[in-house]
Amino acid sequence: MIAIAHELLEAAVRRMPEDALTPARKAALAHFATSGFPTVSDEDWKYTNLRRAVELSNTWLGNDIVASPESNLTAAAEEAVKAITESIDAYWIVVANGIATVDTMPGANDLRSNGVSITKLSQNGDVAAIIANDPMTSFNAALLQDGLRVRVQPSANPSKPLAFLFVDEAAQGDLSQARLIIDVDAGATIDIIEAHVSVGSDPQFANTVIQLRVADGARVGFVRIQERADSHMQVGKLIADLRRDAYFDYASFDFGGSLIRNDVAVNIMEPGASVNLNGLYLASGKQHIDNHTRIDHRVGPSQSREEYRGILGGRSRCVFNGKAIVHKGADGTDAEQSNHNLLLSETAEIDTKPELEIYAEDVKCAHGATVGQLDNSALFYLRSRGLDRDAAVQLLTRAFAARILAAAPIAETHAYIAQKTDQCLDALIHGDSQ
Amino acid sequence: MNMLEINNLKTTVGDAEILKGLSLKVNAGEVHAIMGPNGSGKSTLALVIAGHDDYVVTDGTVQYDGQDLLELTPEERARTGVFLGFQYPVEIPGVNNAYLLKAAINAKRRHEGQSEVDAFEFLQLAREKMKDLDIDPSFLNRGVNEGFSGGEKKRNEILQMVMLEPRLAILDETDSGLDIDALKAVAKGINAMRSPDRAIIVITHYQRLLDYVEPDFVHVLSEGRIVRSGDKTLAQQLEDKGYDWVREAAIA
Repeated sequence: MIAIAHELLEAAVRRMPEDALTPARKAALAHFATSGFPTVSDEDWKYTNLRRAVELSNTWLGNDIVASPESNLTAAAEEAVKAITESIDAYWIVVANGIATVDTMPGANDLRSNGVSITKLSQNGDVAAIIANDPMTSFNAALLQDGLRVRVQPSANPSKPLAFLFVDEAAQGDLSQARLIIDVDAGATIDIIEAHVSVGSDPQFANTVIQLRVADGARVGFVRIQERADSHMQVGKLIADLRRDAYFDYASFDFGGSLIRNDVAVNIMEPGASVNLNGLYLASGKQHIDNHTRIDHRVGPSQSREEYRGILGGRSRCVFNGKAIVHKGADGTDAEQSNHNLLLSETAEIDTKPELEIYAEDVKCAHGATVGQLDNSALFYLRSRGLDRDAAVQLLTRAFAARILAAAPIAETHAYIAQKTDQCLDALIHGDSQ
Repeated sequence: MNMLEINNLKTTVGDAEILKGLSLKVNAGEVHAIMGPNGSGKSTLALVIAGHDDYVVTDGTVQYDGQDLLELTPEERARTGVFLGFQYPVEIPGVNNAYLLKAAINAKRRHEGQSEVDAFEFLQLAREKMKDLDIDPSFLNRGVNEGFSGGEKKRNEILQMVMLEPRLAILDETDSGLDIDALKAVAKGINAMRSPDRAIIVITHYQRLLDYVEPDFVHVLSEGRIVRSGDKTLAQQLEDKGYDWVREAAIA
């Protein structure tokens, strides 16, 4: 079993400049030392092997490099940034190789005057807020150069979504750690986009953590768009804490990456909160995409709705694990979750596990999963109307994905997501007919 | 030259031989009715002509406009003017009816070297034809056959036929499960398609539809073969005497 070389990690943490984050890094390092990277013998990581990420991390740690605090992007990366930021109208904040350049961000003033403030974690000083309670969030905190602290005030009223673009390139840093801490104050309404792009053919490993706190009566629309490069790995975690009557509407889209693991952990901490989680993953070639979600209904009444859909081709492998836990006393919980998968090739594989754990009395819960292939009679029907096979497959797969596209919040993202979905399905279908 | 010429067609599905040497000639301008008891091979014939790959042709030929129809993929057959109205039209949630209609028309137009259909003209034509068939205009924006009643699905098949203007239309039990109003609407749609350069094959179990769509020829299919052919009076004879009469005649 390959593990992270602890002495190298320790040395790397020690090399980082002394600043406000230092105590948090040291605490996280100590926590990480007790666990190391998760392995396939951990139930939550049974199907996702981080061996290559560990190897890459060890090489990177051994290279004695710590990325410079100002990260300049190459022309190729700039292109990738442009492609998305010019397509989706939003206040874009670029996090390049883990480093956010918030000072030069266009629209910063505009945001501030509309009740949204963004500062560096190191400047803000509130390092106690950094969560480092599992292996990957600890690894992130131990090597975190800096993060962003976002505060959305009750009166906030930005005219566009707040969008974070995580861009990585293998040439700049094989490893990147990024962290956002977002507080949405009571009664505020905000749309947030989390986008991932990367460039370069060498392997790269990004580890991102987003902490989101949604206060009483606040409403958050959230869209994740992941289109990392073919050879790149990412582990991401979103932790969302929901207070009284909070509303969290989330949709996730996986288009790229070689190994992607995305965790969403929602904590319903006060009554009246409501959450929607929707996800679409399109995998081809040898892609590995793992979506883990966990919704803790700690109190009732509260509601959660979850639907993830996947379309898999080639030798791709996807994982879905959706856990809803209804804690003791969380009466009045209403939870539904489902996962549906379409396999376009005989060598694609899905491991799906919707889970319900119920410790309360008065609850309404349902869950289900399906795995299937394209409906041959529908395929023939379309062909008998003159559509060629590829067009018919494209239409049927698009129809399968349509529910998730329709469920996504943040209208500004819809055209882009639809276009990416079509591109991805096209590649998936043609890749498989070869 | 016949538009459609089927010679000694034999097909299997799985291990079972369904068509056991079927021959049929259809000319432009003609309406043929194919009748027969359940399991005689009526739907198999329709699906083989449309190109369903569950049906394996083991012997015989099918010529369409002088070309080997069996060589063509289902979509090529459709583009050269073969249309099958399904006995059980599939529900395809998420695929918009209007989108499919337009894609089907454009596939055919591209094949004929024409430009794509104008969106406005398409909508106007679709609305007009829907009115003729008494189909609610909102159906255009719904999923293909999604949540449609049996009668609505059949009308939708007829709508596709009139929009696509095929040269050879095969209607597989389009009349089954229809109330009298729907039957009349469907018959009206079929009759409007009658033309000197088009052939229509109506497959039916009952004589009822033929009261409204008058065939030029009636064929009786039994045990995978056409056992009797005649004019429209044959349908009436069948109605009066039942299929046993034909079966006995075939054996005799």
